[in-house]
Amino acid sequence: MRFVPNKLRFLFALALLILFFTFSDSANAEDQLEKGRKIYQSQCVDCHGDKGQGVESVYPSPLIGDLAVRELSAYISKAMPEGEPETCVAADADAVAAYIHQEFYSIVARVRNQPPSVDFSRLTVRQYRNSVADLVNSFRWSNNFGNEQGLKARYYKSNRQNKENLVIERIDPVVNFDFGEAGPDPENITEPEYAMIWEGSVLAAETGLYEFIVDSENQCYLRVNGVDPPLINIRVKSGDQTEYREELFLLEGRAYGIRLEVRKSKTDKAVSAHLKWKPPHGTEQYIPPHCLSASPMPSWLIVETDFPPDDKSVGYERGVQVSQDWFDAVTTAAVEVTDKLMPEIPGMIKIPEINDEHKEKLKQFCTDFATRAFRRPLSDELKQLYIERQFAESPSSAVAVKRSLLLILKSPRFLFPYLGNEQLDDYDLAAWMALTLWDSVPDPKLLEAAEKHQLIEKDRFTWQVDRMVKDPRAKAKVRQFFRGWLYFDHFSELSKADDEHPEFDAELVSDLKDSLELFIDDIFWSDDSDYRKLLQAESIYASPEIAKFYGLPEVKGPTFEKVAFEPENRAGILTHPYLLAGLAYENTTSPIHRGVFLSRSLLGRFLKPPPIAVTPTPPDLDPTMTTRERIALQTKPIACSSCHGLINHLGFTLENFDEVGRYRKQERNRDIDASGYYISREGEQYRFQGAEELSQFLTKSDEAHRAFIEQFFQYLIKQPIQAFGPEMINELDQDFANNQYNMQKLMLNIATKSALRQRSMKQQLVEQTHK
Amino acid sequence: MKYTMQRREFLKNAGLGALSIPFLAGLPSLGYANTTTRKQRMVVIFSPNGVVPQNFWPDEEGEQFALKSIMEPFAPYKDKLLTLHGICDKIQGDGDSHMRGMGCLLTGSELFPGNIQGGSHTPAGWSSGLSIDQEIKNVLQQNPATQTRFGSLEFGVMVPERADTWTRMVYAGANKPIAPIDDPYQMLSKLYGKMKDRESLKSIMDPLQNDLAKLRLMVSAEDRHLLDEQASFVRDMERELQQENPADVGHAVPKLELGVKEVNDNMPKISKMQIDLLVNSFRADFARIATLQFTNSVGQAKMSWLGIDEGHHGLSHEPDSNTDAVEKLTKINTWYAEQVAYLVKQLAETPEPGASGSMLDNTMVIWTNELGKGNSHTLNDIPFVMIGGGMGYKMGRSLKLNKVAHNRLHLSLTQSFGHDLKTFGNPDYCGDGPLALS
Repeated sequence: MRFVPNKLRFLFALALLILFFTFSDSANAEDQLEKGRKIYQSQCVDCHGDKGQGVESVYPSPLIGDLAVRELSAYISKAMPEGEPETCVAADADAVAAYIHQEFYSIVARVRNQPPSVDFSRLTVRQYRNSVADLVNSFRWSNNFGNEQGLKARYYKSNRQNKENLVIERIDPVVNFDFGEAGPDPENITEPEYAMIWEGSVLAAETGLYEFIVDSENQCYLRVNGVDPPLINIRVKSGDQTEYREELFLLEGRAYGIRLEVRKSKTDKAVSAHLKWKPPHGTEQYIPPHCLSASPMPSWLIVETDFPPDDKSVGYERGVQVSQDWFDAVTTAAVEVTDKLMPEIPGMIKIPEINDEHKEKLKQFCTDFATRAFRRPLSDELKQLYIERQFAESPSSAVAVKRSLLLILKSPRFLFPYLGNEQLDDYDLAAWMALTLWDSVPDPKLLEAAEKHQLIEKDRFTWQVDRMVKDPRAKAKVRQFFRGWLYFDHFSELSKADDEHPEFDAELVSDLKDSLELFIDDIFWSDDSDYRKLLQAESIYASPEIAKFYGLPEVKGPTFEKVAFEPENRAGILTHPYLLAGLAYENTTSPIHRGVFLSRSLLGRFLKPPPIAVTPTPPDLDPTMTTRERIALQTKPIACSSCHGLINHLGFTLENFDEVGRYRKQERNRDIDASGYYISREGEQYRFQGAEELSQFLTKSDEAHRAFIEQFFQYLIKQPIQAFGPEMINELDQDFANNQYNMQKLMLNIATKSALRQRSMKQQLVEQTHK
Repeated sequence: MKYTMQRREFLKNAGLGALSIPFLAGLPSLGYANTTTRKQRMVVIFSPNGVVPQNFWPDEEGEQFALKSIMEPFAPYKDKLLTLHGICDKIQGDGDSHMRGMGCLLTGSELFPGNIQGGSHTPAGWSSGLSIDQEIKNVLQQNPATQTRFGSLEFGVMVPERADTWTRMVYAGANKPIAPIDDPYQMLSKLYGKMKDRESLKSIMDPLQNDLAKLRLMVSAEDRHLLDEQASFVRDMERELQQENPADVGHAVPKLELGVKEVNDNMPKISKMQIDLLVNSFRADFARIATLQFTNSVGQAKMSWLGIDEGHHGLSHEPDSNTDAVEKLTKINTWYAEQVAYLVKQLAETPEPGASGSMLDNTMVIWTNELGKGNSHTLNDIPFVMIGGGMGYKMGRSLKLNKVAHNRLHLSLTQSFGHDLKTFGNPDYCGDGPLALS
């Protein structure tokens, strides 16, 4: 009943009511459960344990899932007990299915038996890196990433870079120039030596190592993230080398200052400048315009220490464990941060150098650093411990600053962000919001609002949250959610540049990924931010390569253009070629991959790992078979059916799209059958034909809405949604519908409701304790 | 204390960009060292702008010779001295004499064509080959018995903040110049950074425990386990930091005078600091190969502490008739000889760790220059002065060679390290094989 739209819900309730009266008393249901219990005790308990917890050495996995009772019963009838399914069929199977479902199988039963709680956690790796970067940058200036889609270019007629010599000033969307012997402006730039500068910022969409590549026949200097000396520092041209590469570790969602200077010297004949990069998991390419802006940026302190990966076993990263590895990484990182930060401090607090003359200013710096790291002002006692004692016991102020910073960075007050006031005060609320929306520490503005008690009293709360949702850090966090939700990590056979699809190369793949991310950004950050549009849109962001490959009208580039894309066939993300190709094999589609994605991400269904290992049937075994037929054959064993009954029929609906995401009507000269169906958790069956109808179903399905809300919530908060009370999902769902499925508002709502719920839970706890 | 470490330096110093090195592992120094074979070492010292030949080269040939004024500081080590007159840098091609003098000195290879325009010759780029010190270092590093933590260390004194053909003599390969570290604090941090970190970390353990104990009381019983685990990690770390580190360097971390700025007048101080660090890192067996580069080719040190106010390179262009200039150039070169002698003295006075004799017995110090003579810019008679032992050369001699290519000297250097090469650098100049110096 919880997973159907309102109107239906009413009808359903009515139907239940009628059923109830038909069977006239509740004893019937009781009897049914009692019967199920007896059957379970006699036939199932040996393998599954008395509470479905499983039995080591026989069948260790717990009996949990989200099939409807009817489906569960059908499966038991066919497959259980193993080896002799005929002993439990029909009414017996119904009874035992009802019992299992009620007692421990369903999510409701599981929450009832073991209510999840908000886990006390440390910072995740992502949160750690973000927190350090923001913490340090709160002592610097800040700027916004502009929308110029290119770098500010200045061409001078001489080596003296002043106004008089400036010949051209413009935005260059990409730096890809072979000016030859004539130079960039043969009429106005005629001196034997001159300089060209491209400046602005570059946005890193992912965390990882970026390789920057400059190709030039001239002297060239590339600075990224304010690194000095330049990352690429080619004053000396030597031999015929023109290409230079250097790697840099960057954090996602941040823009980094970039400056390329190319100087023609007397001895250079030709002039050229090419600026490329190779992003993590990406291909070498000219830095695309949508990653460039003309705005200058302060430099960021990026923690490069390797950390052990976070626990992701429940579908989202969370910091519920500490290990020796993690502890050591935190130590190494603390030293790294201190070493990188120390030389910057004089500039940040405007002193000539770190020495005893400036002791008071240095103490103040350490105090501010601790305040921002701990997300609240220091008590006198803490100030004594973290600041005064370090200065008193160190031989010099420089040593004191180093010790104080190391201590702050190793402190549980920094590393365990949920340590806070027992009442959940304004500062805790600020910390909660910053973690939820940015995976980081509160900025000075937020701390100031907390100091003035403007958050809990609400007068400035919405304003703050609104501001925070629009911040680039929130955008980065949202992007990362969609990467997970859309299974980017699972795209293993994306390279299909074989004989069949020679043009489907790494460059096209990289463009497709950008295209999908641009599409999602565009919808998410539009005013109506409508979730349904994700599943409906009939256009695509196309690069020249994408347009060419999918037969779209020509796109000139270098920027992506939004163009109509087979409106009669396409349905937003569901039919975006990046997703379709990612969830496919090299030479054939994979309805299973697609179906698993639809089941888990779009509908939030629970799937167990396959019980038996099955080698996929090779497509060439029987060339007359369609993929659909082959998959049906392969998953025919009864052990497969409990999950593949769900998976396959969702996946089949996308069969009109081949392994590179092109629309097709036939496969192996046979017409495509793209019909499919879905049986909801309540046992309702929905049938659809092709992507369009699937999309229509999903946009209306309350199960899909709830699945989205739950996954988004858990990704943002890093805690199980059930830990916030049974009403949380209902309230969010209700508001989601009332807000026309506005995802930005949902995000805001999740942040606010979770924080206030956490506060009221804490207060209850305090009250209980005091009683 | 001065903090000048740059981001990428940090990475390099921490080791190959991987920052996951555990802190408690200490320094992998003595762990590598093999004590059964002799530790053979080599130091190349560079000073620029040619010498004053008549005040430099001994007139006599053979074992009986008198030291000229510039080499006077080597008097105590005359029996360990070998002067090689008549070695020429014959490498032709692009670049002026200063550039080729510098870029081909240790590489024996031509410069690539490029955009760096020298005085009057064609412009040039970097050297097209690796340098002899790196060649030998690679050989030593490939053998577990001679492998050390760094393999080689590149020291500098007052090297300009500018990467070009005049400022680089060490090459890891074609087009791969290696920048010398001319900041003693940066060198100290490269050598001992982790040790310093251990000291700092040790000091914060107590306050950290202190605060953890307080926090423990603030959280619920279920949530306490994470903090308890944290506390036990801190205890372990504290215990380990208290212990004498078994992999420790076995000697005190050198203490540098604080706040010595990199300015011309501090050159003598910086020189001494760098030489002390060099000796220290040999003693700790951090490396067996080192280079020490004073300024750069065309270097303009103003040796005010000698009462000389003109820049070195400017003076070196003065004609021989300018006796004042000749006198000053002699003083300047003598000062450089004193620096070499200071290093030699330190090595001679340090017993070889784990063996008999002094460190000098196993270390060859080679003093060289990019030019034979400043005002003529000749690449003939390049100064090569060797002091020390361990190469199997017959020392205590003044040799007069007949215009032999310096590539052949490089061949005999690698040969001394048990690494026989037929050619090094440009093969055309390797004709008669290694110079016979034994």
